[in-house]
Amino acid sequence: MKDHAAERNAASVDEFASAIEEEAARWQRETRGPFVAEHPERREAFLTQALKWPINPLYTPADLEAVGFDYQQDLGFPGEFPYTRGTAPNGHRSDFWTMTQVTGFGKGEAWAKRARYMLDQGLSGLILEYDLATTNGYDSDDPLVAGEVGRAGMALDSLEDLEQAFDLPFDKLKYLMSVCNAPQPVNLAMLIAALEKKGVDPRDFVLHIVNGILIEYTCVGRYIYPPEHGLRLATDCIEYIIRNHPNWAPISIIAAQLQPAKANPVQEIAFSLAIACAYIDATLERGLDIDTVAPYFHFVVNVDMDFFEGICKLRAFRKCWARLMRERYGATAPAAMKIRIMTSPTTVALTLQQPLNNIGRLAIMATACALGGAGESMTTPLHDEAHSLPAEEAIRVGAALQHIVAHETGVAETIDPLAGSYYVETLTKQIETAAFEEMQKIDDMGGALKAIETGYFQRALGREQYERNRDIEEGRRKWVGVNHLKLAEERREISIFRLDDSMEDEQVQKVRDLRARRDQPVVDAALEKVRAAARSGANMVPVCLEAVKVYATHGEICHAMRDVFGEYAADSQLGGI
Amino acid sequence: MAHLEARPLRVLLAKLGMDTHTVGVTVIAHALREAGMEVIFTGLKQTPAMVAAAAIQEDVDVVGISTLSAGHTRSLPELARLLREAGAGEKLLLAGGVIPEEDVPLLKEAGVDRIFTMGADTRDIVAYLNEWWAEQQAHSA
Repeated sequence: MKDHAAERNAASVDEFASAIEEEAARWQRETRGPFVAEHPERREAFLTQALKWPINPLYTPADLEAVGFDYQQDLGFPGEFPYTRGTAPNGHRSDFWTMTQVTGFGKGEAWAKRARYMLDQGLSGLILEYDLATTNGYDSDDPLVAGEVGRAGMALDSLEDLEQAFDLPFDKLKYLMSVCNAPQPVNLAMLIAALEKKGVDPRDFVLHIVNGILIEYTCVGRYIYPPEHGLRLATDCIEYIIRNHPNWAPISIIAAQLQPAKANPVQEIAFSLAIACAYIDATLERGLDIDTVAPYFHFVVNVDMDFFEGICKLRAFRKCWARLMRERYGATAPAAMKIRIMTSPTTVALTLQQPLNNIGRLAIMATACALGGAGESMTTPLHDEAHSLPAEEAIRVGAALQHIVAHETGVAETIDPLAGSYYVETLTKQIETAAFEEMQKIDDMGGALKAIETGYFQRALGREQYERNRDIEEGRRKWVGVNHLKLAEERREISIFRLDDSMEDEQVQKVRDLRARRDQPVVDAALEKVRAAARSGANMVPVCLEAVKVYATHGEICHAMRDVFGEYAADSQLGGI
Repeated sequence: MAHLEARPLRVLLAKLGMDTHTVGVTVIAHALREAGMEVIFTGLKQTPAMVAAAAIQEDVDVVGISTLSAGHTRSLPELARLLREAGAGEKLLLAGGVIPEEDVPLLKEAGVDRIFTMGADTRDIVAYLNEWWAEQQAHSA
């Protein structure tokens, strides 16, 4: 009976769509065609910004029919599989997304002071970023990193540095995100040791490590060891946290780093999910099951200025993850199929020219994030970020933007308000379909690790970077202030952080003093255990923990692993260049 | 410039230090290749000595450094000096990326031949290189 009803229903949908198609052809012939003949279109081709897919002048139910759209299968209901309409059962009617702002934190010991200030302002979570010496696995006194110490973030040479940085009220601080991908087990060990020293109860605190080494190989570049070893170290950290600190957060896939490297929405979804699969497969091999592992995965996703591409990407992202978890891994727990996302307007849409225009851009992108479902949280960059360290006014405007979107526009008053739009559903389905095809292609080449080792990801992004730059240079994409409505006499001021030599000198001296003071044979023995574990395949976190506690330095432990794993050097071919 | 026959310009592109921002250098590499030049990329995390050695070993005509961190006032003059000392001072040394206006005189003084800052059009860079190469070949002919 049921089948008959479904068949009848399908038949009537077909008839409806073909009737619409006929009507659309008539409209084209009688109404639009003659008009366009008189009023030629303002551009030769209308294309989406990143994917460069043709945009039809009009979308109708016939388009949904053509892409095979099916309400129950493709959308379902909020809080239920496949989560296209959102992971929250009541959208944003019960709670808004968490509104956050990422701000840079000075450097070195100044961090504790700044962090205390932020906590006094009522924040309960902080992000800890490190300088490039640290994230690339060197101590501050290594000649290779001269000039970089303490500049892009905190210099971390030994447990001593974290002991000073953690001079914080841990009754207020409940969440800390740490961004240190390539040396992740060393960094995790230092954080655990420092929290222990401060007497922090790990059950009452969330340490979140980004642990994103595979995206470093793909486009960011802060890697140390060959990719297979990078993946093993990341997996060590995931496994260690799940088994020892199950309330912590062991991984984020920052799709928002692929997007500025010019991944289009299909690549962003497919590369991110393929990378997630590499971590998941490796973690499952350690004897954990998918319903335990999958809920730990967290994503950060940007939207760019093409409003609909951004919205449809977010909707498709949720659905692709849900399908992947169920179809590929046989997940059954809803928490495994519900993707956890933080959304953000992208910084690469912002211009150095006429910076106030960026407020308009940020408002539009934040609205797109909200319409796409916002995720658990949203973070907004600031309109003057392209210029210099954000000014106080920019921080205020950035915070206000999210409140304007949330309270004034009405976009959060009903769940997934754009669902059913012929254009939105067509594009969402097209992105989903193309993302699955791309994932299949990556699977066929052996997965994300192989795609990195052969340079496939890097070359694909390199091509996008070149082509999209040409779109701007040749005027196919108009960008206000850059190639459209340019001001003739605009003076662009770039302020970059000037090196403070005395700070670097002090940090260098500090790590040298430490080495002179500690019990060297004990340190040497600990480093030898690191090498042994690296060779044996044991989880690296416990041996790193032993080493940091006897004040082996960050660089020394990274070097001990270099002795075993070697170093990764990507040439032109592998770099996508 | 011993080669008298017309041959494509050989360009070495490099990143110095821990600065791993590669979008700019990737775009330049594609544009130069599209314009028929031979492009070699050193990879990331290079020292001035490594770049100078690669420039000589690969026998390139042009060395282009992409810099998006503030280390350029130290590393670029050092690279120029190393090239000169190795008798490779005739190679064209270019820099691009985030370079504040006030640093330009110092870099030019130190031996950087031309600086293209953020937003430079790749077509202008290609035209500049083609012109320079034509001049070189005219001199050696």
